[in-house]
Amino acid sequence: MGNELIQLKSVEKYYQGSGKTLKVLENINLDIQQGEILAILGPSGCGKTTLLRQIAGFDHPHTGNILMDGQEIVKPEVKRMMIFQDFNQLFPWQTVMQNIVYPLQVHHVGDSVRANREIASKYLNLVELDGFEDSYPHQLSGGMKQKAAMARALALQPKVLLMDEPFGSLDALTRLSLQNLLLKVWRETGVTIVVVTHDIQEAILLSERIVVMGQRGSGGIKRIIPNSLARPRDVGTKGYAELYEQVYALLDV
Amino acid sequence: MNNESYHKLKTRLFWMIAILAVWELTAQSGVFPTAIFPSLLIIARALGDSVVSGEIIIQTGFSLALILQGLLISLLAAIMISSLAISNKMVDGLVDTLVAIAHPLPGIALLPLIIIWFGTDTLSILVIIVHSVIWPLILNMMTGFRSIPTIYKEVGLNLGLNRFRIIKDILIPASLPYVLSGLRIGWARAWRALISAEMIFGAVGAKGGLGWYIFKQRVFMDTPGLFAGLFVIVLIGIIVEDFFFAVIEERTIKKWGMS
Repeated sequence: MGNELIQLKSVEKYYQGSGKTLKVLENINLDIQQGEILAILGPSGCGKTTLLRQIAGFDHPHTGNILMDGQEIVKPEVKRMMIFQDFNQLFPWQTVMQNIVYPLQVHHVGDSVRANREIASKYLNLVELDGFEDSYPHQLSGGMKQKAAMARALALQPKVLLMDEPFGSLDALTRLSLQNLLLKVWRETGVTIVVVTHDIQEAILLSERIVVMGQRGSGGIKRIIPNSLARPRDVGTKGYAELYEQVYALLDV
Repeated sequence: MNNESYHKLKTRLFWMIAILAVWELTAQSGVFPTAIFPSLLIIARALGDSVVSGEIIIQTGFSLALILQGLLISLLAAIMISSLAISNKMVDGLVDTLVAIAHPLPGIALLPLIIIWFGTDTLSILVIIVHSVIWPLILNMMTGFRSIPTIYKEVGLNLGLNRFRIIKDILIPASLPYVLSGLRIGWARAWRALISAEMIFGAVGAKGGLGWYIFKQRVFMDTPGLFAGLFVIVLIGIIVEDFFFAVIEERTIKKWGMS
């Protein structure tokens, strides 16, 4: 296609256990396209979080290369913002507003505190969290904390959002509303999104392509499934059931 | 003020009044001579005279100024040493060993050595205060640094923070609950060491401090004045431990949901 943002070439990662080597990632070849939503789906322990952490730059593969815009990824950077599953990714000693303004100040994004606050307000509005600027994180619900974390990441205008089961700890209704919010954010900002999940429905509702990974220890990508269902999607969308069947069969659960 | 702390305050007031009443009854009964067991009124008058003459205020101010200097020096040094230790394994080992050696040493046990090394001036008292505060502070700060959830550091790295910012803007605020409890322990140890040192050194500097004030009253057999001095020590202890630290906690770690 020619507009790969991130390329993974023959990526391998293994952990040395008691006497035996566990292959966590084996011969991973994957291109992440500019502007797409890519879902990485697999059972727990299949290495999908490990994979995401290599892309983020928190960890490095034993062999193979991970490139972004043709450059080797060596460390975490602002252009690849990670959203964790853990609700405690906001700094509890800062208000919601301060959490978002602080990294903007560090990187001199706006030329004044006021300019940075305006940028922060814009992104708080985007994630529908207006009115909670002066709340501290512990006063927010889990869903609101994830929204604030998204606003903090987006305000830095990253090229890609790396999301590690971001809605995994939320109740079903909140998860649905945050999925819709994520889609709105994607439409309005055009940011590339890589989302790790173990929820087939989430993968189908969100993504353009679904990377299905095998059981623990199998270490690799089973198949990459294109997902061209019409948007907006729900479980009644034409083709949903067939796609679900196809993914489910691959997961051999 | 919430209901629970209001109740606690009420209970405490009740018992304080009860204890004072028992004291007064004992004093009035004449079982002990007034010279060794003065009544509340006599003590209050001694305190009042001392306040009016300014003596006790100057002595208290002298002691408080010393301890504040000591706390500030210790806090800055502890932050620097702990930051170095967390960034470098060698320094970490050294600091760990130093804390293990120095932490169990009561400040007062060092007095003879400190007199030989530094004389009997305010500098010596400052050294004792810093010794009393700095080790528990480092110990707590290191525990705090080590117990910070990995996610804060990872977010910090992802946000592109440099080492200095990670320490200043993440490690220190995130370990504030530990720093505060280290300061509480440090304060208690320093306050005790200070009073003892002032008694042993006699009039250090020009004025002498609260410890010297109490000691002097015994020499002159001024029992009411001695109790007045003790009263001030208790009062300062309560103000610092129950109000000063409580207010800081209320405005930081409690407000942030970190306690």
